[in-house]
Amino acid sequence: MSQTAAAHPQLDPLLALPFPQAALPVLRNPQLRKNVAHAIDVIQAKRGKLVEEKTDWQQLRQAASAIRAHALDNLAYYLEQFETRCSAAGGTVHWAGDAAEARQIVLNLLREENATEVIKIKTMTSAEIQLNPSLEAAGISVFETDLAELILQLGNDEPSHIVVPALHVNRSQVREIFARRMGLENLSDDPEALTAAARTYLRQKFLTVPTAIGGANFLIAETGSVAVVESEGNGRMCLTLPRTLITLAGIEKVLPRFQNLEVMLQVLARSATGERMNPYTSLWTGVTPGDGPQRFHVVLLDNQRSSILSRPIERQTLKCIRCAACMNACPVYRQTGGHAYGSVYPGPIGAILTPQLMRMQHSQSLPYASSLCGACYEVCPVKINIPEVLIDLRAQVTDQERGRFNRFLDPMYLGMKIANFLFASAWRFRAAQRLGRIGLWFFTAGDGWIHSLPGIGAKWTQTRDLRGLPSQTFRNWWAARTPVGVELKRQAK
Amino acid sequence: MSAPPTSRQRILDRVRLATHALADPGYNSETAYAALPCTFIVRGQLTADARIHLMIERLREYGAEVVECSPEDVAASIAAQLAASGKHTFAAPPGLAAEWLAGGFNWKVDDGLRIEEIEAVEGVVTAAFCGVADSGTIALHHSLTEGRRVLTLLPDWHLCILRASQVVETLPEYFERCQVPPNLVTWISGPSATADIEMTRIKGVHGPRFLHVILVRDPV
Repeated sequence: MSQTAAAHPQLDPLLALPFPQAALPVLRNPQLRKNVAHAIDVIQAKRGKLVEEKTDWQQLRQAASAIRAHALDNLAYYLEQFETRCSAAGGTVHWAGDAAEARQIVLNLLREENATEVIKIKTMTSAEIQLNPSLEAAGISVFETDLAELILQLGNDEPSHIVVPALHVNRSQVREIFARRMGLENLSDDPEALTAAARTYLRQKFLTVPTAIGGANFLIAETGSVAVVESEGNGRMCLTLPRTLITLAGIEKVLPRFQNLEVMLQVLARSATGERMNPYTSLWTGVTPGDGPQRFHVVLLDNQRSSILSRPIERQTLKCIRCAACMNACPVYRQTGGHAYGSVYPGPIGAILTPQLMRMQHSQSLPYASSLCGACYEVCPVKINIPEVLIDLRAQVTDQERGRFNRFLDPMYLGMKIANFLFASAWRFRAAQRLGRIGLWFFTAGDGWIHSLPGIGAKWTQTRDLRGLPSQTFRNWWAARTPVGVELKRQAK
Repeated sequence: MSAPPTSRQRILDRVRLATHALADPGYNSETAYAALPCTFIVRGQLTADARIHLMIERLREYGAEVVECSPEDVAASIAAQLAASGKHTFAAPPGLAAEWLAGGFNWKVDDGLRIEEIEAVEGVVTAAFCGVADSGTIALHHSLTEGRRVLTLLPDWHLCILRASQVVETLPEYFERCQVPPNLVTWISGPSATADIEMTRIKGVHGPRFLHVILVRDPV
């Protein structure tokens, strides 16, 4: 299974186009938009029904939010506790400051195992550090075992959602990929047949590959346990059958106690897939003799999380439990799908997380990829105030631009400066109105609307019309109608 | 081998600096934890009968097959389920009651079965630790009657014996029953499933495709 060096170039924030440009191909692809809208409608309808049936939903949200905030406020305390308990139970804990260090740790562990193949559970953290390309480059074959990840890997495609990463691919596209890559010419496009094909394709891998890599939904400080939430059973296979298991987890994933799962598991499945509970959740503690992998490693990844933690408004970003409810609710994501965000984390959470992971040096267009409608905040099970963070990040982006010398070449900057000058005096404002009426007359159609503007004005008119300037300003109109106005006008003459 | 200790120290130092955890000498993480809001529903409201009814309904919604039986009829009920499955070779955890291993079938008791041997059986019979009616969830703590994790994973057909006295209504009630946090847990809510292709729910990907439950109506 050969792959190109960069598996997700489109989703690498260092290479990705700014959001407005990246969104254009999707907006012009009706099939893709249909696939995305269909998937989202299904999840949203199911989620809505199941949240409504939970009479204590808001109390659960409040508890979930408070638990996550508390874990972050005491992160060093709980991380050390997790490390101690996990080590005592036979696990080995590694710490990685950044993506490169995490990749190196994983690679070293695989070399110790003489691994040539590795089976993987879907993990966002692995995608974040672009682990697969580095493993492939080191000669290790990677087998993604989540159905959606398998579709993307075989189709050389990229994830567009954090829970259902292949939601932009429809059944006939899946059939084409599986038929080609698995050599099954007569495969039908029935999802049941496609799923069965994936089961057969991966079965032998589960039974024979001795090394697995996975992520963590939660790390439990009290016990040193790790929890993984899934549907298909591929996670259980990877967590149970291999000799060696490597878990890759962000440092923010920690929960204080085992009992906290009573809240987190109630909100997670409902928010993510609109189920009362996902089919399988696994929890294990270090190494259990006679049951499961006998060598267990946890790699704890910082990769800018500690710096996000240091900003009071942005800290809440780290409460995220990766349920994807925010992208399902987002009117922007619904139109653009996930690839436009140029990151493995799309949607509203990606719009706040990615620029911060990039130390605000890349992905600066993402905080603007939102209408600030607040739907994401309303559905978030851990109450992350995403609009609040978006606005703060926009302020940071603006501050960056303020300091830049070439700002004088930016039409937006110049326009604002000119507006500032014009609005500062009544005389200049009136003169500008008169000039504007003359200038815009050339672009105003017979129906009184402006359908197309040149230059920076086109940004507005390419998606909507602009009302032409009326022949009379409000001030003129007012002056012509009130006794005081008429008197003033007479005096002025 | 582990990562250089400097990475660990650097990360923890950065985290401490970011959270000012050491700034206030009066601050105590455990005290702060005890003050967390906890106003969600802990205790269920249903009668014992309604609770069992809900458990059965939720299991069936996931596509699991459920039958009920009295405590005296467990062995007979298991035998009937096995016969109806049309399968012949079954695995069982080492602690399962001997009378549950119905005659006429080929039993592989897991006293250290190899993976290939477990892969070769057609079904598995186990007990459970707890059932949660609200979400139709079965919790396996992988004791000697529930079996190793792999035992309920590879066989395509899983028959789980759940006693009515093990069924709670809410998830928090389950956690109340965990006096000591378990080392290993698998929470199972229906057979393995996926909705990755056009959000169409397909039963059975890698885990058992068929989940059968015998609900034993013991005194609650």
